Amino acid sequence: MTTAHHHDPLYKDTPLILSVSGVNKAFDGFKAINDLNFYLEEGELRTIIGPNGAGKSTFMDIITGRTVPDSGTVTFHGKDGHDINLAKMREFEINRLGIGRKFQTPSVYKSHTVYDNLVLSLNHARGVFKTLFYRESAEDKERIMEVLKTIRLEARVNDLAGMLSHGQKQWLEIGMLLAQDPSILLIDEPAAGMSDEETERTGELLLSLEKKHSLIVIEHDMEFIRQIARKVTVLHQGHVLKEGTFDKVKSDPGVIEVYLGRQGKKSETN
Amino acid sequence: MLLSSAILEARSARVILSDLILAEEETQAALLEELAESGDQVIAEIYEAWRSGGVYTLSDDSGTRLLLFNEAQEWTLVATGEVVSLSEAEASAVEKERASRAVRKLMKSIVDTLGLKSVDERVRIDAALKLGLSQKPEYIEPLKARLETEPSKNVLKSIREALAISLLVNGEGDEVFGAVKELTSMKSIAARGFLEKLIRAEEKAGRLGSEVVAASSNALLVIEEHINMLEFFGSFFRGFSTGSVLLIVSFGLAITFGLMGIINMAHGEFVAIGGYVTFMVQTFFINTWGLSSSAFGWYFVVSLPLSFLVAAGIGLLLEKSIIRFLYRRPLESLLCTWGISMIMQQCFRLIFGAANVQVNNPTWLMGSLNFGGFNMSYTRLFIMFIALVVVIMTWLLLRKTNLGLHIRAVMQNRGMASSLGIPVARVNSMTFALGCGLAALGGSVLSQIGNVGPLMGQAYIVDSFMVVVIGSVGNLLGAGLSAMGIGLVDQLLQPSLGPVMGKITVFFVIILFLQWRPGGLFPSRSRSLDD
Amino acid sequence: MLSTENKKEIGIFCIVTGLLMLIPMLNAWGPETGTLAVSSFQVSLWGKYLTYAILAMSLNLLWGYTGLLCLCQSLFFALGAYMMGMYLMLMIGDRGAYGSMLPDFMVFLGYQDLPIHWKPFYSFWFTAGAVMWVPGLVALIFGFLAFRSRIKGVYFSILTQALTYACCLLFFRNDFTFGGNNGFTDFKDILGHSLNDPSTTRWLYISSVLLLLATYLITSGLLASKFGKVQQAIRDSENRVLFSGYSTTSFKLVIFGLSAMIAGAAGALYVPQVGGINPSAMEAAKSLEVVVWVAVGGRGTKWGPVIGAILVNLLKSFTTQAFPDYWLIIMGGLFVFVVLMMPDGIVGVYKQAKNKIAQKRSLQTEATV
Repeated sequence: MTTAHHHDPLYKDTPLILSVSGVNKAFDGFKAINDLNFYLEEGELRTIIGPNGAGKSTFMDIITGRTVPDSGTVTFHGKDGHDINLAKMREFEINRLGIGRKFQTPSVYKSHTVYDNLVLSLNHARGVFKTLFYRESAEDKERIMEVLKTIRLEARVNDLAGMLSHGQKQWLEIGMLLAQDPSILLIDEPAAGMSDEETERTGELLLSLEKKHSLIVIEHDMEFIRQIARKVTVLHQGHVLKEGTFDKVKSDPGVIEVYLGRQGKKSETN
Repeated sequence: MLLSSAILEARSARVILSDLILAEEETQAALLEELAESGDQVIAEIYEAWRSGGVYTLSDDSGTRLLLFNEAQEWTLVATGEVVSLSEAEASAVEKERASRAVRKLMKSIVDTLGLKSVDERVRIDAALKLGLSQKPEYIEPLKARLETEPSKNVLKSIREALAISLLVNGEGDEVFGAVKELTSMKSIAARGFLEKLIRAEEKAGRLGSEVVAASSNALLVIEEHINMLEFFGSFFRGFSTGSVLLIVSFGLAITFGLMGIINMAHGEFVAIGGYVTFMVQTFFINTWGLSSSAFGWYFVVSLPLSFLVAAGIGLLLEKSIIRFLYRRPLESLLCTWGISMIMQQCFRLIFGAANVQVNNPTWLMGSLNFGGFNMSYTRLFIMFIALVVVIMTWLLLRKTNLGLHIRAVMQNRGMASSLGIPVARVNSMTFALGCGLAALGGSVLSQIGNVGPLMGQAYIVDSFMVVVIGSVGNLLGAGLSAMGIGLVDQLLQPSLGPVMGKITVFFVIILFLQWRPGGLFPSRSRSLDD
Repeated sequence: MLSTENKKEIGIFCIVTGLLMLIPMLNAWGPETGTLAVSSFQVSLWGKYLTYAILAMSLNLLWGYTGLLCLCQSLFFALGAYMMGMYLMLMIGDRGAYGSMLPDFMVFLGYQDLPIHWKPFYSFWFTAGAVMWVPGLVALIFGFLAFRSRIKGVYFSILTQALTYACCLLFFRNDFTFGGNNGFTDFKDILGHSLNDPSTTRWLYISSVLLLLATYLITSGLLASKFGKVQQAIRDSENRVLFSGYSTTSFKLVIFGLSAMIAGAAGALYVPQVGGINPSAMEAAKSLEVVVWVAVGGRGTKWGPVIGAILVNLLKSFTTQAFPDYWLIIMGGLFVFVVLMMPDGIVGVYKQAKNKIAQKRSLQTEATV
């Protein structure tokens, strides 16, 4: 806790939306997350990089409630000024606060149409009884059409999601996230398995979301990062190694050592 | 040395008896004395026949022969034990021999104490206890006499226990008190009832506060404590052996489940295959060498590896024909293998009948190891031994062989293993065969403590699945620990709850355990979202 | 406005209703002999098949539409059956073998009074409620524990099987007050009508038809709602649903409870038509049999489970008479075949064939044009 305050920017004065402070998580003795401190501003687009096993996915798991941290706090700063501790909440409750997540491998509802995939992602009527008596409103329809346009899947609105290509599934999942209209979007490797053109378009899409939403993007593809990067956080062994602009981070000796050091070792063993 | 002298003795016992039956009354006493020295069980047998009118004499030209008409409708020579055939004329000429009342009385005590002189230690122990528990004064002398000559420590202990029990009634003055003390120090379970009787008798006689009563009450407490301890250890021991069977059976399941995502519902039927192979090997041995031959004991040694091989072969066929279409489709594999299990069950019924078949223990697995008054049957000890062997072999296989390396690689990442040139299909087949083989090994072992029948595997399948779930899928250490854990909890609960409620409680304990650790003992972490 | 799809569905619904109602009508007004004659025995037999069909539909709700392969469906069925059995046992009154007001097995086991939990079952309406809420409650408690700790997939199947196994052992016990091995039998009448009366048989049959149709309507209603969509989404990607703000645990609990209630109601109608219930009805193998019905008919289809349940049971009746030794082998083989060769069951095969024909036709028309 004390270390957390040490890193703490004066968040009451800055429009923070998410604070992660002093978080630890170990799996069977292995420290996946080690005294992690992370602050996200409203409307910010943050890119997280780091070598394999740096704890990037575990970090997202902790924010979204999939993994409960051993210690530390994860706080969501709501629009109404209330702070909400996420550490003990369940996944769907966290999601309802407005924190959406896209997974590394696209997960869509294969046997539903693209349209229904989006209907199911709207951010209301999610209780058991509400779903029983849900009637689609004109507003909902409009919202869905809008999302469809953003993700350029209007032509496939009535196709089963299982029939889409890999890239289209990635887009659909991003669309499902947009339909939720979340405050924070957590996006895990959006460009994985996409063609260059699709990647570029994804980058544009993410950039267009900035300001309206806060985004955390995990990515490996350096080209893609160069395209979207504003502020970059480098994770290493579950800890923040460096934070700053892409160029600053790229030329940091510590970061180079973490990446190239591993690279060097790898080439030796190969 | 001991054996040959025993044979000599046995022969002489027959001759003495033969002489005794034919002798005149005045010479009988001397012969009886001579007979008393022998510890041959044949005396009891012939005496019983003599008493009940099964001994005949046949007088013919060659003199008088003594014959025994035994149960198998054969005539045997008493003196030699030879089987002879009689002509019809001879058969009608035989005369029945009767023992006189005096001889009968003397013979009885010889026959009763016969066991004390047996060459077999266990027979001597049983005989001593039997004599002691009868509390008849006439046995005190023979027991005391044996105390002088008995070479074995274990038997000596039993004789002392027997004497003490007998003295509780027959002793005088301090003898009774001494006997109580002796029984206390021995923690004699057999003496419990007699001590209670003694207390009641003393109370009746108005000696409620006597030293003897106090000592007896104390003895009872000590013995009770001892019994509780034994029961506790007994539950532990049974728990470990039940756990061992579960371990052997569920190891195979854990491997197939963890590696291939195949839920093998027919696993129980592979257990049954093990049982039936053991049965067939046994039948073969009986038909070839006979039940009482020394070769028969080896049948179990042969059937263990054979059942493994047979089941592994069948498993291999099954994998090649059906299972390989079901990889990574656990639900479908569950349904499909259940269909296979029904077919196999019915095949067992058609081939071996719906009833259970009889599998005998080889003699070397009969009996038990006594450890401080606590009996551990050899069968159960052997099962634990086999479980240990299975654990070690599986560990070696997985850690030290090429196949093991491949298996672990496929377990971790199927696609990567395949692209690295590991023959995934072959590894799958081998692993499935291994799993089936282990199941059959479990079945073969089970045949020694349970029934062999078409449904024998069903009793274990639910428990084995629990073992796998608790121990985390694909984790052999977890499977081993949870097998032992479930075995122990099951056996520790049974004395107080009974088998059915015990099982149900174990089930709810498992459900509650999963509340605490949903992934089992050793959950694996995976990156992909939907698995 | 109804779409053609909906119109077709209503059409099929009416045809099925008509066909099912033929049986009691022929029994009441049809000829006494000949091919059109339907005996009361046959009415009961078909009534039994219908309760099986409902049971299959209840499993389909779970397995077909939510992806939960539940292996304790026969437990819920048997629980419903036992609840109804208690009422029927009490209705025997003093006409039992011992002439006592207590059920025979209780006299035999030396009971002096009726156990307290039996007393409410003198009331038919209490019973009618209990046949649903008792299995429903069991499902809710077990489901809560299971879903809360994220038990899914095969683990769920294995645990439900273990639950069935445990309950089966419990019901086999004499001191569990449910008749032990022999269960309940020798029923006399229901709501004052003799069970031997053909009209009672017909009414029981008609009740089964009504329950079947109601189950169908419930299933359709659910599927048409957003609830049904969530249900199927859980089947495809449960985590996505969870991360879209739905409490999947609640959804699964509701569907599990509902399915258990339907199975229980089916069991309650099964008992008077078959004339007895014993613990073997809740053996683990029975639950798997239900899975076979659904798989053969077609999981995740509205009528598939009904078709599967009836066809497999007709086959069973035929085989157990003609080749009693081979029934299990045929059944097992059928299972292997269906899983490997026709994963979508009969309905799936029919749909595939229809699509193929349609394709061919369109190709032909294209060719002619």
